[in-house]
Amino acid sequence: MTGQSITRHMCLGLLDRIVVFLLLVVLTFVLPRLMPGDALDLMLSSDMARSMSRAETDNLRQSMGLDATISTQFLTYVTNLAQGDLGRSIQHAAFVSDLIGRALPWTLLLVLAALPVYLGISVVIGIEAGREPHGKTDRAFTGVMTLLASVPPYSAAVFLLLGFAVLWPLFPASGAEPLFPSPDPLSRSLAIARHAVLPVLALSLHEIVRFYFLTRGEAVGLSGRPFVLNARARGIGGWRERVNYFGRNLLATLLARMTDSVAALFGAVIYIEIVFAYPGIGLLLYEAILSRDHVLLQGIVLTISALFLTVNWVLDAASANLAARG
Amino acid sequence: MRLLSWHPSRAATATAAVLALCLMLPELLPPYVTTRDVLQPPGPEHWLGTNDIGQDVLTGLLRAAPNTVLIALLAAAAALALSIPFASLTVTSPRWLQRTLMRVVDVLQIVPSVLVILLIAAWVQPGLGGIALLLALTIWPDDVRVLRTAFRREIARENVAVARQLGGSWTYCIGRHVLPAMGPVLLGLFLQHVRQAALKTAGLGFLGLTDPRLVTWGSMMQDALDHLHTSAWIWLLLPPAACLTLFLHGVLRAGGRLERSGQTLTTGLA
Repeated sequence: MTGQSITRHMCLGLLDRIVVFLLLVVLTFVLPRLMPGDALDLMLSSDMARSMSRAETDNLRQSMGLDATISTQFLTYVTNLAQGDLGRSIQHAAFVSDLIGRALPWTLLLVLAALPVYLGISVVIGIEAGREPHGKTDRAFTGVMTLLASVPPYSAAVFLLLGFAVLWPLFPASGAEPLFPSPDPLSRSLAIARHAVLPVLALSLHEIVRFYFLTRGEAVGLSGRPFVLNARARGIGGWRERVNYFGRNLLATLLARMTDSVAALFGAVIYIEIVFAYPGIGLLLYEAILSRDHVLLQGIVLTISALFLTVNWVLDAASANLAARG
Repeated sequence: MRLLSWHPSRAATATAAVLALCLMLPELLPPYVTTRDVLQPPGPEHWLGTNDIGQDVLTGLLRAAPNTVLIALLAAAAALALSIPFASLTVTSPRWLQRTLMRVVDVLQIVPSVLVILLIAAWVQPGLGGIALLLALTIWPDDVRVLRTAFRREIARENVAVARQLGGSWTYCIGRHVLPAMGPVLLGLFLQHVRQAALKTAGLGFLGLTDPRLVTWGSMMQDALDHLHTSAWIWLLLPPAACLTLFLHGVLRAGGRLERSGQTLTTGLA
């Protein structure tokens, strides 16, 4: 690809992602309005005061903007979104953006900590297995990975929790830090790290399998290529062979697959936060679903999508650039 | 496994048998009802014990099995039913339409499907058919590129060229010449979708987003979460988790065999 076509590719990619985001905005607006009743009916039917007069409910409906026509409501919805106003969560009695702002760093901590863990492990064992296809190491690793591939992320998380927090309480079972965090920053970060170990492990486990098979497949292909055979004949082995001959040639493929991986991570992190009661955005989403807090639910879905689409676009552009370099 | 060597009639018989079994099984099983035997460990009366509202775990497992299998099969079939016509259009239609259709696929492929499924499921709490439809709608865009490549390869063959020359329409050519030759690719994609759909169905059940009357292995695991601190997890958590993993593993192995037999090269493990 030439420089010009990369620019074109990036612009088109950005356009695609904007279209997807707009579709999601429309979906979050339309979906609640397709259901019988409106937000106020839902609120009144679930809890709160039941004995309200007609005038009072009409008043409330008006103040919530639910009596306006659909087009006016949509216009308000979009203008509010454009100003970064995601609305207020009545159940939490707080602004949605504040709630998300508090939860997001925890989720990012998990995802960013899992990234080097699974990439490192899967690339190392993938190269080790793929260097000698159908050798002893290859069969052992591939066997284990095929089994792991059939363990869904929520199963893995539950069993890690059970094994290392309940039966053998090595790590804390829930939360991101103790109820009363230590004032000393060093011991506080230590406590945070201890709380993050199991969720990060559970999150990595899922992706290790994916990247293992990817790395192994590529490494099997490379191990038959003349330049590797030649290098081996010259006596190049050990780290030099693994890093310079396999590792470098894997970069483009790995980066290209990161786009899928980010989507999978955002999906898996929801389950993992629920199992470990980790106060990130996944748990917030789950609470929003349980308490039928649809304003919060929409806000979270739109925020995660925006984040996801941006990361996805950057990774896509990066891998296009790398592919152009050859 | 001889069953998996590709043959349309054999695959159809197998699918029909599985479907019949799925539909009949719930009729033959004892009802899944609450009793007073709460949290009983496995014993002669309840082989796999009971849960916290006295439901028999074994009955639950057996009732959840056809649900999961049916949803997975339905979703996989529906996804292919959407992607095959679409992919054939992206090959046979005029150039401008091809380009537009591929743009649509590009856009659909980057939709964060997990979030869309969660959002919709949270509103409608779908039952069996609803989940299958929802999954199919989010799975099919990923097929189009694979199918398109396969379509292109098959359409370039002589038999298609001759049939076209003799005045065969595109629908005739695709139905009679192209699709039969694509059997292995289709079966590979189908198995991949079955796995994906089973995984996601159990996930939705685990989050409690499905119709509460629908028993799934995922929802049984969710119920077990409250009992991790007592020994009840042994009979509440292990059986559904094992069933799910065994099923996923079985489908994976079947796909792997298909691939090793060299009949298809386009489907990967993902």
